[in-house]
Amino acid sequence: MHKISRIGAALIIPLLLPACADQRILEELGTVHTTSYDLLPEEEGKSSKELLITMTIPKNDPENRKVREEILTTTSINSKGGRIRLSRKTELSLVSGQLRNVLFGSRLAKEGIWPLMDTFQRDPSISQRLKITVVDGSAHDLVTEKYPPHPMTGPYIERMLEKQEKSKMSAEATLYDFTRDYYDDGIDPIAPIVKKQGGNVVMEGIALFNEDRYMTKIPADEVLIFGFLQGDFRQGELSMDFGESANKEANNAMFTSLISKRKIKVFANRSRDDITVNVSVQIKGSVLEYNGKMDLSIDQDRRKLERLISEQITDKANDMISKMQKNNVDSLGLGQYVRNSMSYGRWKKLNWEEVYPHVRVHCKATMVIKDYGKFK
Amino acid sequence: MNDSGRQENKEPNMQPSMEYAMAELRNCADLNHLKLPEIGVDFVYFGHFIGSQEFTREISEPFTHIRADEVDQLLKRTIYKPITESQSLIKAILSGEVAVFHGSNTYSVKAYDPKSRAIEESQTESVIVGPHDGFVEEVEVNVSLIRRRVKSSHLKVIKLEIGELTKNHVYVMYINDVVNMEHVNELVHRISGVEMDAVFDGNMLVQYIEDNPNSIFPLFISTERPDTAASMLAEGKVIAILNGSPSVICAPASFFEFFSSPDDYYQRWPVGSALRLLRLFALFMTLTLTPIYVSVTTFHYEMVPETLLLSLAQSRSRVPFPPLFEAILMEITIELLREAGARLPTKIGQTIGIVGGIVIGQAAVQAGITSNILIIAVASSAIASFVIPSYIMSSCIRLVRFPLIILAGLLGNFGFMLGIGFIIVHLAGLTSLKNSYLTPLAPSNLKDWGDIFIRAPFSMLKKRPFVNQSPNPVRNKMRK
Repeated sequence: MHKISRIGAALIIPLLLPACADQRILEELGTVHTTSYDLLPEEEGKSSKELLITMTIPKNDPENRKVREEILTTTSINSKGGRIRLSRKTELSLVSGQLRNVLFGSRLAKEGIWPLMDTFQRDPSISQRLKITVVDGSAHDLVTEKYPPHPMTGPYIERMLEKQEKSKMSAEATLYDFTRDYYDDGIDPIAPIVKKQGGNVVMEGIALFNEDRYMTKIPADEVLIFGFLQGDFRQGELSMDFGESANKEANNAMFTSLISKRKIKVFANRSRDDITVNVSVQIKGSVLEYNGKMDLSIDQDRRKLERLISEQITDKANDMISKMQKNNVDSLGLGQYVRNSMSYGRWKKLNWEEVYPHVRVHCKATMVIKDYGKFK
Repeated sequence: MNDSGRQENKEPNMQPSMEYAMAELRNCADLNHLKLPEIGVDFVYFGHFIGSQEFTREISEPFTHIRADEVDQLLKRTIYKPITESQSLIKAILSGEVAVFHGSNTYSVKAYDPKSRAIEESQTESVIVGPHDGFVEEVEVNVSLIRRRVKSSHLKVIKLEIGELTKNHVYVMYINDVVNMEHVNELVHRISGVEMDAVFDGNMLVQYIEDNPNSIFPLFISTERPDTAASMLAEGKVIAILNGSPSVICAPASFFEFFSSPDDYYQRWPVGSALRLLRLFALFMTLTLTPIYVSVTTFHYEMVPETLLLSLAQSRSRVPFPPLFEAILMEITIELLREAGARLPTKIGQTIGIVGGIVIGQAAVQAGITSNILIIAVASSAIASFVIPSYIMSSCIRLVRFPLIILAGLLGNFGFMLGIGFIIVHLAGLTSLKNSYLTPLAPSNLKDWGDIFIRAPFSMLKKRPFVNQSPNPVRNKMRK
């Protein structure tokens, strides 16, 4: 008898405890896919800055058996407040458990996005794989614009970014990455930046943040160079043009199946505050296209081509690093390597923010041609 | 017959006589009485128990060609068993022997050969490759089917009686030195302890002798296949055969043994292993598919990929019921179909399948009563449940699903896991002939895992299953 009542209690108590609070039946939900935030121009008599919040919600249209996208816009001073205001406009209860992408207008990004990131961190239903994206211009305009070949704007932008990431043409910036880099010593967060151009959304490059403020960007053409500097990867395509302007000959090459390896060495002299960072990049790839006078089946010519490319990548990489130093954004995480090279006490004493722009960084890239295709 | 209102006398040591037998068996119209007055011999027997060949050999042939003074000599043959007690006389006639009365002496002779079903393949446990014979209702045939496979003097048989009214027989069989005698003694003890007027089937007997008769899970394996029964014996289990039932009980059993089929051993081991994994996957699928549908559509929209979410919402959008109600409705419909199909002749059963599968399935979706994704979930979990080879286990699993669906509908994944946890706790607490039901998982015995999750090659299955506690555990002395 005792046993039965104990089992009964074990079954009934859990049923009573949760008190059936938050049922969320699927078809009654508006699952927000993409949210965008813009900073509204400041108005007189308002104490805090107002945000322009736009959400896209994929919605079923049972009559036509099609999926439509509902776009809702409101103004609010914070994110969840905006959601409450938006829910007045729709018959669905808005939930953010399917949020995939969040877009920040460049004005807001320059002011700092951390106050908005707070809710993404706090809400347990939001995925850590949420993408953080910066929009060059107004995010609201980008989201509300109609792109005729792409009926659903939210998934269109998200999939475009995803594909770019896979081939290292964009940087990976999920909520997890962004927060980790934000809190970590010696690295600054990054995010892809997109732009409305003609009838499309175009990948514009990589936005570099200092803390949570958008400082500068790396143009789309140089994203791959940033990828070489950022770490090892095994995929991607590289197109190089090294034609000399004097003799107007076509001289360009395209590489595929890239294997890139990066090594960072830090020389931090104990006595002086003199830090040198050497970044060496080794790239292997196969030639898929070559227009020029050299014969790639000859070893010397191939070496020469390798040298040309190496030099060009080295130059670009050095330029990029000095640009980052000038803007004081350590997006490559050089600070982490410096930190690892010294004692904790010394790192604590070192004010990396101030030291970083003056650190000597040398980058050296070497290109190796694995093969030159089936053309002899 | 000789019904003179005489008092029934049940004293066992009473001298057996024809008058007594006729009185005891009065009003039994199927009783035959053959008189041979010229030699003074009477035969009393039930005609339907007696084979005509046996009758000719033991009765009509010898007795018609002799004179009256030769009868005494003839009855000295050992096939004519002298009977000294009236009770055993009745018992002998009832169990199919011919009672021979000569003067004051009584004998019985075996001529038992009742009409029974031919040996044919079991409908519930059919295999593609392997032996195609199956047990029948006649216990002697069943014992013979096993002894044909185990030609060993170590194969021992204990005969027990069960059912105070039906006086049925149970044969307990085991292989000496391979079986753990404690199991034999325990099983014999439990069977002799059954106090029931009638037991008709092995699966019914199981419920009297199981460790926990209230559990939903079967604790003893029952099989209709002689090859399975023989392999159970060789593994060190005890088996019990009830007369009148083709289901043979094997004990002790572990939960995972219900998911193996003789097919696994008759096929090459990679194929057998794949089939084992497939069955465990089926178990998982049949338990989880519908509850997960319910919990996802009620609580956890975050869990589904975006594209699936849209089609889920699309198919749900016309359904007027909450997911829990919708799922229970469909599950009950499927169970109705299954039960209707099981109770009907095959030809009508097919019609039921078509009506149920196509008409109800298609029409229910079009009418907007259920979503088509739920139909897929319910149908595939029903199919998965039929993959489980033991029909008894399969119907348990199907019943267990319902509380899981309700828990998932009330509490989401939390409730679902609560239900799964409760099942596991329950399974871990069960025993079969005092051996843990979850062996070799808990208590764990890694060597046995090769015969549970996969069917390892025979060179690796060297020991008898741990659950059988065999005193002679090595079975395979094969060298690689």
